[in-house]
Amino acid sequence: MSVLTEMFRNLFSRPVTILYPAEKVPVPPGFRGKVTIADEKCIGCSKCSVVCPARCITMTDSPREVEFKGKNLARKKKPRVKLYKCIRCGLCERHCPADAIHLTGEPASCGPSREEVTA
Amino acid sequence: MSKVVIPVGPQHPALKEPVNFRVIADGEKIVQLELDLSYNHRGIEKAAESRDFIRVLPLLERVCGICSHSHATAFAKGIEELMQVTIPPRAQYIRTIVAELERMHSHLLWLGVAAHEVGFNTLFMWTWRDREAVQDMLEEISGNRVHYNMNEIGGVRRDISAGEVASILKRLPVLEERIAEYVKMAAGQKTMLMRFCGVGKLSRAEILKYGAVGPTARASGVDYDTRKDDPYLVYDQIPWKVVTENDGDVYGRTKVRIGELSESLGMVRYCLENLPEGQIRTTAPKAAPSGEILSRYEAPRGELVHFIRTNGTDKAERLDIRTPTLANWTSVAAALVGRNLADIPVIVAAIDPCLSCTSRMTIVDQDKNEQRTLPVASLRPGNTGRKEGGLFS
Amino acid sequence: MNDILYLVLYVLVFPGFLFLLGYALFLEFIDRRITARMQHRVGPPWYQPLADFIKLLGKEVIDPAGIDRKIFDAAPLIALAAVMTAFIYVPVIGGSPLAFEGDLVLALYLLAVPTIMLFLLGWLSRNVYAAMGGVRAVTQLFIYEVPFFLALLTPALMAGSWSVSVIAEWQQQHLWFALLQPIGFIVALIGLQAKLERPPFDIPEAETEIVAGPWTELTGRRLAVMHLAEDVALVTGCGLVVALFLGGPLLPWDVGPAWLFGIAGFFIFVAKTLCILLILSAIKAATGRIRIDQLNDVGWKYIASAAILQVAVVFVMMSAGVIS
Ligand code: SF4
Ligand code: SF4
Repeated sequence: MSVLTEMFRNLFSRPVTILYPAEKVPVPPGFRGKVTIADEKCIGCSKCSVVCPARCITMTDSPREVEFKGKNLARKKKPRVKLYKCIRCGLCERHCPADAIHLTGEPASCGPSREEVTA
Repeated sequence: MSKVVIPVGPQHPALKEPVNFRVIADGEKIVQLELDLSYNHRGIEKAAESRDFIRVLPLLERVCGICSHSHATAFAKGIEELMQVTIPPRAQYIRTIVAELERMHSHLLWLGVAAHEVGFNTLFMWTWRDREAVQDMLEEISGNRVHYNMNEIGGVRRDISAGEVASILKRLPVLEERIAEYVKMAAGQKTMLMRFCGVGKLSRAEILKYGAVGPTARASGVDYDTRKDDPYLVYDQIPWKVVTENDGDVYGRTKVRIGELSESLGMVRYCLENLPEGQIRTTAPKAAPSGEILSRYEAPRGELVHFIRTNGTDKAERLDIRTPTLANWTSVAAALVGRNLADIPVIVAAIDPCLSCTSRMTIVDQDKNEQRTLPVASLRPGNTGRKEGGLFS
Repeated sequence: MNDILYLVLYVLVFPGFLFLLGYALFLEFIDRRITARMQHRVGPPWYQPLADFIKLLGKEVIDPAGIDRKIFDAAPLIALAAVMTAFIYVPVIGGSPLAFEGDLVLALYLLAVPTIMLFLLGWLSRNVYAAMGGVRAVTQLFIYEVPFFLALLTPALMAGSWSVSVIAEWQQQHLWFALLQPIGFIVALIGLQAKLERPPFDIPEAETEIVAGPWTELTGRRLAVMHLAEDVALVTGCGLVVALFLGGPLLPWDVGPAWLFGIAGFFIFVAKTLCILLILSAIKAATGRIRIDQLNDVGWKYIASAAILQVAVVFVMMSAGVIS
């Protein structure tokens, strides 16, 4: 009987389906999405690249002065993330000493060129 | 109709994952059944041996999409025990909350699948709709709907903020109401009762003989739950009880799972309300001392066992995973013979099989028409100097 | 001349085949929509059944190895033709002009044709799932056909005619048979659900057991036509139940000119078929699939005896002179 009542209750109420892409589900804060790198903070320590389980972070040459804990450092490399390989585990964020790599609320992206799917 | 061989799987609408039953049926009756597992060998155990303890956890979560937290916790728990690290109480509570939420979403998913197997798609849609609420909570806590990544050796990675606690506590009553509704539906839905009652019956003795675990065993009156028999996390400190039924059939398993839904909900509520203050992790050493450990964990489907052998490095030397589905398969094969063909999906679904996690390798020689397994020694050309035997040989 | 033109228009355009096909797709849409809403989903847009049909027509037709192509091509068409023919005798805007004494029996036989065709397809497609489905389809046919026939024939008994249109007219003067013979009405609805192979009677095409039963090897236009036949059977079945139990498209009193009567009748027909469909969809959404041996039990024990009971009650009522 409870099945019937619920069926007819549903019949006259708004369906719960979310019509993506017209409607979108709100993403909670702290959602693990696309990886971004704050270039001005990264000290090029390669910790993220070592810890990444998907092996999707490579270090590329990018000499730059960065401020880290009040000192100025000259970094040599910065990470490049292959987003199409990233499993969004967040380990890079967790182990970065400079708080430079972050997972944002943006969903995984796709794109026609390699540039668009790397960060 | 005379006897026909009906291949069920590896591609079949009833089984969403690859497994093959060679069913020999006489009309609609099953007279013989051959089970062929393992179309999905992924080599996770081997891969786990080459990753350090930080990187292995995301890999282990991917053993199973439904009980991802179970695998990571079972492993982390084992390693922590080897390292003799005690994780802070707050971390234990958080692990328990995620574990019980995971159990809830797994059981809701199961209820839907079981209903779908008997063609009752309405319940399927409803349970999956309500499961979404649980998934939202998990997403809020962990940042992901499937692979929570909450564990690390020495604690948990994320804290649950006061705001999250409040918002989840506020949403629990709705779920509670829904669960009460499912209790009513399970008892009153005629066609479902017709398909579930008396189907796949296994007596207590049979369960013990075939070594079934989890809700399958508990539905036959076997009072066996790792959370109670070998308590880990905070299960010995929080109020809950083991749900058992004596029906022994698919209906009994349904009742056990629905019962566990409300038990889990109670545990989540208790843990959230009594969340101790403090650290969420301690610093664990990088490497584990050499040793062997058998880590047991009550996954939603039953007892999950991780056997870990370490050798003093930051990697496991050997990891062997025994998933609950593997323990339950034999009981399925036994329950199916003599039944109706239409019961296959119901009985198989009743153990909530998770097939990729269950993959085992056998060598099939088509020319000689024989099957065999490889002894461990033949897999190790270089002598490791270790005696074979024990749990894994 | 005018008469012939009217007949041709009646059969081919309205309310005959053209209307029928459109209405069949419409009813499928309504059915899917209602089910979806009951399950708290959104459901398909209105053109989905038509889009599915056109898409399937354009798809490749695959012949399983070793089948008789002619039969595979013909069977869906025969099924469709049969149910469409049956619809001609269903009163839509007043009595059918082609009605004759005994068209009820003809319509019932024609409605059984799709099941027979499914059995044939299943049996001939050299596929274990299809063969099992075919066998299940006929087994099921034997179980529900008897009570279904009995339930639909009881109105005929009471009205004293074997013509659908006459039975509908009889109710204009008396009461609806749904009120006079409630048991028969329920049995007819259950039988109709079984005939259309909808849950809980979708045993022959049980997706999780035997893939799609006899439908397994149907592809492209064969599948499209078979689906259409099923939809048409839904309209015909609903129409028959409406005519036999709910007084058909007729108003209990006469209104003005014939054309107004026709239009009113048409809307009544649509409203009543939608009501029947709502019941059928509700049954579909509220049940799971039972097993064939359980259907055997339930069918003979309860449904058949209910139908027989109804016949007995009708005889008693008639001899007692309750209904003149
Ligand atoms: S989120 Fe994980 S997989 Fe992605 S880049 Fe960071 S560590 Fe690698
Ligand atoms: S861990 Fe942080 S600071 Fe180090 S390389 Fe990666 S992003 Fe840069």
